This record gives sequence, structure tokens and C-alpha cells, in this order.
Amino acid sequence: MKIDHVSEDRALEERTKLLFDEGVSSLDPQTRSKLTQARYRALEELEASAPAGWRPRWIPACVLAVGVLAVVMLWRGQPAVSPETPAFDVAALSDLEIILGDGDLGMLQELEFYAWLDEQAEIVPTESAEGGVG
Amino acid sequence: MTLAAFVQATCLPKEERTLESEIEIDAFLREVEKRAYRIAVASIRDADEAFDIVQDAMISLIRKYSGRPAKEWRPLFYRILKNRIRDWQRHGVVKGRVLSFFGGQEGETYDPVAQAPGPSTSNPDETVARGEAMAALEKALAEVPRRQREAFMLRNFEGLSVSETAIAMSCSEGSVKTHYFRAVHRLRESLGEHF
Repeated sequence: MKIDHVSEDRALEERTKLLFDEGVSSLDPQTRSKLTQARYRALEELEASAPAGWRPRWIPACVLAVGVLAVVMLWRGQPAVSPETPAFDVAALSDLEIILGDGDLGMLQELEFYAWLDEQAEIVPTESAEGGVG
Repeated sequence: MTLAAFVQATCLPKEERTLESEIEIDAFLREVEKRAYRIAVASIRDADEAFDIVQDAMISLIRKYSGRPAKEWRPLFYRILKNRIRDWQRHGVVKGRVLSFFGGQEGETYDPVAQAPGPSTSNPDETVARGEAMAALEKALAEVPRRQREAFMLRNFEGLSVSETAIAMSCSEGSVKTHYFRAVHRLRESLGEHF
């Protein structure tokens, strides 16, 4: 019984679809002509609305795209530099200046003295603190 | 989309873009105009008003949605068409009430045979039989509740998918299935199993 209804429904769908399609394909020339004219009138709307509707929306997108492109091209033209690299290079350059410079070489000769002085500066407060407790 | 393709797509000369869009939307409207007209005629049973409704739907699609992807146009167009038909029907109900209040009559009586498709064959009997069958179908459709009729026309006549019909009808896919099932059931009852 249910199968009968399903097949009846399917037959009804096919029959009505066929009838509708025939109705569409057999429209008389006058009706077709009027529909074509209606379509042309609608398309005139597209032409009329295009300058106002499109230009403001797409120009910023174009400007943005060109800007991004320029930034990418400039960035790719530079050598790759990591954030840590400049600090390392500056330190190396300052050391090089000291070594190559013709200034006070006596300071370099007394380097051991300065290292000893630095150690003493770290030791002295500890000793004084121990002395304070004792 | 790559950046180059994006720039190419967005930075085309305006005239070129407009022409491209015009060709695309013209092809779409050419494809749907006759079917939309038949749907409008079957819904409101007035050939002249059906022209105006189809033209309004075309203009509205272009104004509001011509910038949207072409694959979205079909359900959007039928949503507009459905809304125009519904507005016309509401307006017709109000107009009919006003005219009946003043004792007048509303326009000409609808003649289904006169509105039936024109002759496509040389056999007059066949033409008359087809015209009568179409008139019977339109009459039966007119008696089906509006939402069910919309679901039936969009799904069966236009071949829209369930999801596209849901967009056109502004409802869920489940509702589309329910409306469609009930429409088929009603039409089967009113047209008879020999239709």
C-alpha cells in the first residue's frame, strides 16, 4: 500500500514536471519577447549601478594589495637579520676597536690586575658580613 | 587565492569587470526568466502581473546581489520572486476586500485555457488537452497552502536542492521536506491518480 503511494507520488512529480517544462518551452513568441525586454531593462540597472556600487568598494582593496606587495618585495630584497644579531655584532666591533686602537695599551697589560680587583670587590662584603656576625 | 591573482581580480578595469558581470548575469536571467514567469502565472494567475513580478525580481537581484558569487543567485532570485508573489497576493486580498466593500468587481475573470501555453504542435486536440491539464494543475496548485506550493514549485519545477529551497523559502531544510511531502499528498488527492 505504501509502495503504491510512493510510486503514485513519483508519477505525479514526473507528470507535473513534464507539464511545466512543456509550458515553459511552448511559450509564445510575444511572451518570450516581453521577457527578453524585461531582462534588458533589468540589465540596464546593472550598468547604471556599477560606477557607484563597485568603485568605492574595490579601490581600497587594490591599494591595500599593492601596498602589501611593495612591503613584501622590499622585505625580500634585504638580507635576513635575526633580532639577536645586532647586539652580538656591536659587542664584537667594540672589542675589535679596543684591540686595534692605538690608545692606552697599558690598560691591557694590567688586565690581570683589574681581574684581581674585581674578585676582591666581590669577596670584601662577604668578609665584612662574617665579621659583623662574629 | 594568491596575492597576484587577487590583485588581478580586483584591479581589472571597471569596464571589463562590468562587462564580465553583465554577461554572466544575463546568462543566468536568460536561463530562469521563462520558468520564473510560469511559476508567477501559476501562483497569481494573472499573465500581465506575472511579467511585472518577474521583472521586479530581476532588478532586485541585480541591485542587491549582483556582487555575490553566481552560484548563490538561483536561491536568492527565487526568494525574491517568492516574496514578490506573496506581496502581490496580500495586496490582491486587500484590494478585493475594498472592492467588495464598495460593491465593485476586481478586473477580468481568469481564463485558464487562454492563459495556457501556446501551440507547439500542429495537433489541436493535443494542444487543448495540454492546456486543460495545465489549467487543472494551476487550479490544484492554487488550492494548496502557500508554503507547500512554494516548496513544490521550487523543488519539482525548478529542481532546486533541499538546501537551496530552504534559502529561497527562508526556512529550515526539515520544513522544506515537510511542506513538499504535504504538497505532493494534497495534489495527488485533488488531481487524482489518473492525472
